[in-house]
Amino acid sequence: MSRLEIYSPEGLRLDGRRWNELRRFESSINTHPHASDGSSYLEQGNNKIITLVKGPKEPTSRSQVDTNKALLRISVNITQFSKFERSKSSHRNERRVLEMQTALVRTFEKNVMLNLYPRTLIDIEIHVLQQDGGIMGSLLNGITLALIDAGIAMYDYISGISVGLYDTTPLLDVNSLEETAMSSVTLGVVGKSEKLSLLLVEDKIPLDRMETVLAIGIAGAHRIRDLMDEELRSHAEKRVANASSR
Amino acid sequence: MSASAIAPRRKRLSDGLTVTQKVFIRSRNGGATKIIREHYLRTDIPCLSMACTKCPEIVVPDAENNLPKFILSNDPPEFPQPIGKHYVVLDTNIVLQAIDLLENPDCFFDVIIPQIVLDEVRNKSYPVYTRLRTLCRDSDDKKRFIVFHNEFNENTFVEREKDESINDRNDRAIRKTCQWYANHLKEYGINVILVTNDRLNREAAETTTPNKDEEKLITKSLMQYVDLLPNSEEIKDLIPNLEPTNNQELIKSNNNVSKEPIFPEYYSTARIMGGLKNGVLYQGNVQISEYNFLEGTVSLPSFSKPVLIVGQKNLNRAFNGDQVIVELLPESEWKAPSTIVLDSEHFNVNDNPDDDNNENADTTELGINGTSNIVISDKDRRLLAKHAIEAQKEKKVQPTARVVAITRRSWRQYVGQIAPNSVDLQTGGTQNVFVILMDKCLPKIRIRTRRAHDLLDKRIVISIDSWPTDQKYPLGHFVRDLGGIETAEAETEALLLEHDVEYRPFSKKVLECLPAEGHEWKAPASLTDPASLAKDPLLANRKDLRDKLICSIDPPGCVDIDDALHAKKLPNGNWEVGVHIADVTHFVKQGTALDAEGASRGTSVYLVDKRIDMLPMLLGTDLCSLKPYVDRFAFSVLWELDSNADIVKVDFTKSVIKSREAFSYEQAQLRIDDPNQTDDLTQGMRALLQLSIKLKQKRLDNGALNLASPEVKVHMDSETSDPGEVEIKKLLATNSLVEEFMLLANISVARKIYDAFPQTAMLRRHAAPPSTNFELLNEMLHRRKNMSISLESSKALADSLDRCEDPKDPYFNTLVRIMSTRCMMAAQYFYSGAYSYPDFKHYGLAVDIYTHFTSPIRRYCDVVAHRQLAGAIGYEPLSLSHRDKNKMDMICRNINKKHRNAQFAGRASIEYYVGQVMRNNETVETGYVIKVFNNGIVVLVPKFGVEGLIRLENLTRDTNGANFNEVEFKLNFVHKETGKEREIYVFDKVEVQVKSVLDPVTSKRKAELLLK
Repeated sequence: MSRLEIYSPEGLRLDGRRWNELRRFESSINTHPHASDGSSYLEQGNNKIITLVKGPKEPTSRSQVDTNKALLRISVNITQFSKFERSKSSHRNERRVLEMQTALVRTFEKNVMLNLYPRTLIDIEIHVLQQDGGIMGSLLNGITLALIDAGIAMYDYISGISVGLYDTTPLLDVNSLEETAMSSVTLGVVGKSEKLSLLLVEDKIPLDRMETVLAIGIAGAHRIRDLMDEELRSHAEKRVANASSR
Repeated sequence: MSASAIAPRRKRLSDGLTVTQKVFIRSRNGGATKIIREHYLRTDIPCLSMACTKCPEIVVPDAENNLPKFILSNDPPEFPQPIGKHYVVLDTNIVLQAIDLLENPDCFFDVIIPQIVLDEVRNKSYPVYTRLRTLCRDSDDKKRFIVFHNEFNENTFVEREKDESINDRNDRAIRKTCQWYANHLKEYGINVILVTNDRLNREAAETTTPNKDEEKLITKSLMQYVDLLPNSEEIKDLIPNLEPTNNQELIKSNNNVSKEPIFPEYYSTARIMGGLKNGVLYQGNVQISEYNFLEGTVSLPSFSKPVLIVGQKNLNRAFNGDQVIVELLPESEWKAPSTIVLDSEHFNVNDNPDDDNNENADTTELGINGTSNIVISDKDRRLLAKHAIEAQKEKKVQPTARVVAITRRSWRQYVGQIAPNSVDLQTGGTQNVFVILMDKCLPKIRIRTRRAHDLLDKRIVISIDSWPTDQKYPLGHFVRDLGGIETAEAETEALLLEHDVEYRPFSKKVLECLPAEGHEWKAPASLTDPASLAKDPLLANRKDLRDKLICSIDPPGCVDIDDALHAKKLPNGNWEVGVHIADVTHFVKQGTALDAEGASRGTSVYLVDKRIDMLPMLLGTDLCSLKPYVDRFAFSVLWELDSNADIVKVDFTKSVIKSREAFSYEQAQLRIDDPNQTDDLTQGMRALLQLSIKLKQKRLDNGALNLASPEVKVHMDSETSDPGEVEIKKLLATNSLVEEFMLLANISVARKIYDAFPQTAMLRRHAAPPSTNFELLNEMLHRRKNMSISLESSKALADSLDRCEDPKDPYFNTLVRIMSTRCMMAAQYFYSGAYSYPDFKHYGLAVDIYTHFTSPIRRYCDVVAHRQLAGAIGYEPLSLSHRDKNKMDMICRNINKKHRNAQFAGRASIEYYVGQVMRNNETVETGYVIKVFNNGIVVLVPKFGVEGLIRLENLTRDTNGANFNEVEFKLNFVHKETGKEREIYVFDKVEVQVKSVLDPVTSKRKAELLLK
């Protein structure tokens, strides 16, 4: 199993994609209308994620009240069955998960217009049902969709994607096999701009390759933004049609 | 793995891209895991045939924006009708069995390797996979091999059916690929032949009824395919010798009696896993004894000394270097290592290669008791292991073991020659013959050939196919013939092959990486010139050192000049000393084909008459070489040394230099000694010499070892290139001048790169020798001379070596040094994350950290060190692969292996030429006894640097009257010629007659020594 052809001389990756191809991306919003104010279900390759947004609502305790803006709270639940082998212990308080939560909060604090909702709490719950690499990017996408579904004001879409670097070739949207075999970065791109709201580099990447990696990552993120936009618009059309028929 | 019950769904993503799921069950450690992976199917995978007009429309560029190259010829080889023009599709079994044949330049053109075959090959044998990949990469214009990704192609992907085994599914995928190709290429008049040795696959291809518009597949076995070739007669010999079961239908029908297996069957995997876990079985590498091919040892971590494996049956078909599983034998069979000398070529010389069934009567004679069938419980076995460890501490008896399974074969291609007495000169047809391999630790190989007559007296390459339990000898097949025995070309090629040295010319892809200017390349005149800066932005970081008085000192006739030096007095009285190393990494960039080639070669190999370069000539002898009078790029280490040769300051920089002169050691010595020369260059050299003497003294005070090897140099006649005379290597003071500064540079660089990359710095270590290595030598010294070697520290060892003097014989000290060198551990390359800092120590040089930096033209380690140093000083960012532990581990393993092989090859070359020299002059020389056996003595002749075994038969007429005293290292016998009683002890100085003889059985020339 070890010595895999990550990127074959013929230009194909382990799962048959080319270097600049995204995985299957399917999303839907308003999947849990009774349990939350905004929700989304996202499949990015074999990453399967439910995101629930509750709020803006009254904070549960006084200490959480901020008179100027809303408080954003994100909790990531990586289920024990999300990988091929069931993990024995819960991931809830793992350092890695806590770091992910912090990174997500920091990313969205800047993009959600929190000042519109003073004295409130926006609570985001994420359930990772299945994971297959590049999970952080998928989380960003799931949250963006759920926040929009909840009708919370944002400046623009945040679309997340991870890019690996295999020798000198950047590979877009890595899966778990690729992720373990090479270094990768995760980016969160603001809308159709080239602004990054998140850049997560946990492995070593040569500085002179970074530019090509970012370029392909941004292009991929724009594709994802379009896919999300498409889903939102078709959903909205359906709702408008429903409303008008009623 | 088992079949999934639910058929995976497919979803079309966009035009030409569909996704499905690959579902399989993996069982590991008793648990089952369901693995689900995405699998994308596409329509843009081209057939890569130049004839095709459809595929060029669908291709898409890769990340470098290159389009795939169409390789398969539009005019492929033609067979008689009904086949006509054709491409070949290979099955996995053909690749695994006949990779040599695929690499043959005279057959197999326009070949399609389905991806599924490539995957199967990779899982079965990674080396074969690499060879196949190389074949696909380098065979563009000649052999035209391509990989077709059938698994990712929507048209050729097949789903596994219910209750279908994975192998059947893969076979079906291959057939589907053939079918697709056949249809795809029909309009261009090109057929597709599926070559497979799997009978079921062939039958399936013939019975399945294709759709109405499809033709039936053409399938051939390898034998049938070769038969169709115009040059089939030559090729047929190269077809692998498969187990009798497989070619029974073709060749044998007379021998259907079920045969008694000669060797025990190997244990099942489950039993091995269990055994290893319970601690009753052990895993290790077999090392066959140099002197006795029926005795091997396995080093096991839980035993202080290697465990012995004695006899053919216990070795159970293991080859030298195989990774095996062993089981301890009962205590009654433990024994001391044998004191008999035995080599395969003289053993069972009269065996008949056609006879499968000869019970050899002499096995018992040699102390080979068959495997014992005593049943021992696991508990007892563990007790046995405890006993064994204790027994090792006491002296003589060693635990023995037997091989119960082989986890990894070390089989490769071997060089040998046909044993003349195994050839039947009357029959002209195919016959079984024995091939005796050059490596005397290995058994004879049985091959089938129809060219036995032609191949007599030739060095030939063979490859081993299998060793079934009912065969006394392994089965192999002929690969190619190198030329006549004792012709210089054949012998050189043989020894290169035998030591796994890559000697083929550099491929086109590699040469394309060289600078386009070729020999016209020039270092830019000014480092600030904007035109040159635009070409190479890193130029700004180079220092201009062209004003320094730099010179190089090398052996005479050296063309690849790695290093140059300079020294300058500073105003404060200290010395500025610079070591300038050829800047190879300026030309050999990470990730290029050139770099990959260099990494795989690992080192240049120096033979007596030939040099096998690691890098192409253009770089090695011109652009990188620090030739005099021209500007060259260099990597400089600049020190400020005080008058005591202590480092005040060290600096590293890439530079451009101009060497003033290239000296040979003698010339440099003459110039330094000549009082009339007072120019700055000579003054600098004198200063360097003085400083180097101080450096050396400091090193020796720290306990650096001064070891010796019996190395000699062969002088070649410059016109006839015949070997002339043999000379023992001489050392001049200037040799040591260069050496000291190189050591200093290496140490300084090692510290710097370790500082910058604590986990992955490329370093070199030399472990302290375990005291067990010196046991025998110390025992001999103690018995015979009442001396001993101390092993407390390298300092103690150096001092005790100095004390081993025999006042009557000045050579004795050198002899002891030679013998202790052999007890040392080999130095090795490693990355700094592999060991903790105290283990970085270089024992021989007595420094705490060391690397190789100074010869990047001929060693790959230095190339890596250069890159890391460049990264450490911020010249250019270090590429990822030199910062990745796993990749560094692979590099280190490879260069360690290549380095060792290169040394062996060099020695073998000297040995061969020394043999040629001795052939012409037979002399009587002084020799020293360095080993005493029950049936012979080993004598070292310093003048030729050869050592040879004198068998008891050649010492005396009465072999039974000889008396061997193991404790005293003494052999008593009646001397053959004089008829007098003689006593030979180890370390004795003896007169021997040296001549070189051609062994009639092996046709190997070796030094034959006769005691006078």
